[in-house]
Amino acid sequence: MSTKKLIYIIAIIIVGIIVLAQSMYIVSEYEQVVVTQFGRPIGEPVTEPGIHFKTPFVQKAHIFEKRYLEWDGDPSQVPTTEKKFIFVDTYARWQITDPLQFYKRLYNERGAQSRLDDLLDGETRDQIASHELKEIIRNTNREATTSGEISEIIGDTLATIEIGREEIQNNIQETANETASTLGIEILDFRFKRINYVENVRKQVYERMRSERYRIADKFRSEGEGEASRINGQKERELNKIQSQAFKKAEKIKGQADGRVTEIYASAYNKSSRSQDLYDFTKSMETFRKTFDTSTTVILSTDSELYKYFKSID
Amino acid sequence: MANTNAGGSDLPPELQKLKKYYKHILIIIAIIIVGASSAFQVNTEEVGVVTRFGEHVRNVNPGLHFKLPFMENVHKVPVERQKKLEFGFRTQEADVQTQYTRTSVTKDESLMLTGDLNLTNVEWVIQYRIDRPYNYLFKVRNPQSTLRDISESTTRQIVGDRTVNEVLTVGRSEIASKLQQLIQEISREYMLGVQIAQVVLQNVTPPEPVKDAFNAVNQAQQQKETLINEAKSAYNKVIPKARGQAEETIQKAEGYATRRVNNAQGEVARFNELYREYIKAPRVTKRRLYLETLQEVIPELGNKIITDETGDSTIPLLNMKLQNTK
Repeated sequence: MSTKKLIYIIAIIIVGIIVLAQSMYIVSEYEQVVVTQFGRPIGEPVTEPGIHFKTPFVQKAHIFEKRYLEWDGDPSQVPTTEKKFIFVDTYARWQITDPLQFYKRLYNERGAQSRLDDLLDGETRDQIASHELKEIIRNTNREATTSGEISEIIGDTLATIEIGREEIQNNIQETANETASTLGIEILDFRFKRINYVENVRKQVYERMRSERYRIADKFRSEGEGEASRINGQKERELNKIQSQAFKKAEKIKGQADGRVTEIYASAYNKSSRSQDLYDFTKSMETFRKTFDTSTTVILSTDSELYKYFKSID
Repeated sequence: MANTNAGGSDLPPELQKLKKYYKHILIIIAIIIVGASSAFQVNTEEVGVVTRFGEHVRNVNPGLHFKLPFMENVHKVPVERQKKLEFGFRTQEADVQTQYTRTSVTKDESLMLTGDLNLTNVEWVIQYRIDRPYNYLFKVRNPQSTLRDISESTTRQIVGDRTVNEVLTVGRSEIASKLQQLIQEISREYMLGVQIAQVVLQNVTPPEPVKDAFNAVNQAQQQKETLINEAKSAYNKVIPKARGQAEETIQKAEGYATRRVNNAQGEVARFNELYREYIKAPRVTKRRLYLETLQEVIPELGNKIITDETGDSTIPLLNMKLQNTK
């Protein structure tokens, strides 16, 4: 083999590879292709994955995604109907449904993202501005499970809504899709990712939450004090009752005994004038015994019954 | 080739030998290259998704497998691995004592509005597995960030339908199960190819600026209990004692009554005995009793002054020095 021949062979191989590469294109599972000939679209878009052929050099394959693609909204400050300023962060998933249309209208994904920004951000703004905050936050008219003391104190209920989050999201999606469908794309899902108060509204909300909690705390404390007072009152009442009943009963017992004793004494001492006389006498004798002691000074006259014999025995 | 053969005679015998076999060597090298690009290993937790010219042709299980070189590609998807996404915090270092970090980014994730238009912090974790590797690879671009978006949106949707009290207290487990259900539903709608194994609510707390107010409620609740307990304890300290004391008073009264009656009966019996005898000789008995009494009493007395009614009664008394009167 001569060197010349070798060069020929190599050149043919290279050309063959180029032609083959130009006449073949690979479509993966998540791709779809629009083939154009000098800019003019040829046939239906190719969505079947695998190896495909086209006329080399004359036709061009434009590859587009078939998967769900991301769109992330710009977190923006929007007022609601009641002029509450909120931050709304949204996201969407979209798909290229008509690659030819997409290629014509938007050219590439960057173009699509920018159109989606206009469509969805604008629609979000409109929808939020025409609804109250509760309609955006709440989704259903679910009843709150009010259990426990705290819920009772603050009257823990949820306001009723007319539309709700999901429907607002759907409205935005549908309205945006009316335009999107003419661009060869479809918004498959649109949702609010984050909703939050702007800084100074947040402060007001915190203040309200704080005052609400302190109100609950005060209620608890006052309930505690009230209950303690009630128990204390009960204690005093029962104490007085117990003590006075005991006193009453004791006095009655004593009185009955005193009566009985009086009767016993009277029955003995009151038999006759003699017995009365004897009682007086014995009692005064007893009194002598009981009342006289070493600190008593007595002046006894010799005239007394005791000492009458002191002077003389007559 | 003629060229290379021409000047080869002066090469050392080793290289001459190599030259002789160079075709074999090239074939071996080619086989190695083809073999390396056709054999592949699928690990225990993975599934291999094989595509030929971009088209999905088969899935292969763990083990050693072969594919057509240059024409087929393999995507390994860890279908058995439990994956985890964290919201509101990030695990910095998972260990026995795991370290977590919270930044302004994670704070934005966790702060959300409740249905009664209050604010709360919710931190949560979702655990998932890839159950349809085909969908996971080919249906959604960036499936993981898509799952994050779904999770953030649904958590806010569910918390948005509950009061702040429900979120902080009774609603926790219910929210987690609702969340799992809803995330799963939307993932299926998106054809993400994931199975949500579990949603766990981690820290659910009031936002920092209102924490002290929430703590004040807990404190007040404790205080209430304390006040009531103290009052009950005071009650328990006093009432049973008073009951006992009342019993004591009554018992004492009974004792008094018994004593009085017995004493009276005793005295009366004594009196009656005396009286029976006294009747027989009243005068002398009376005198005897009188004298006996005085006999007993007078020795006990301090000062005894005996006067005569006829004598000057007052003057001697004044000069007397009395005992026991100081």
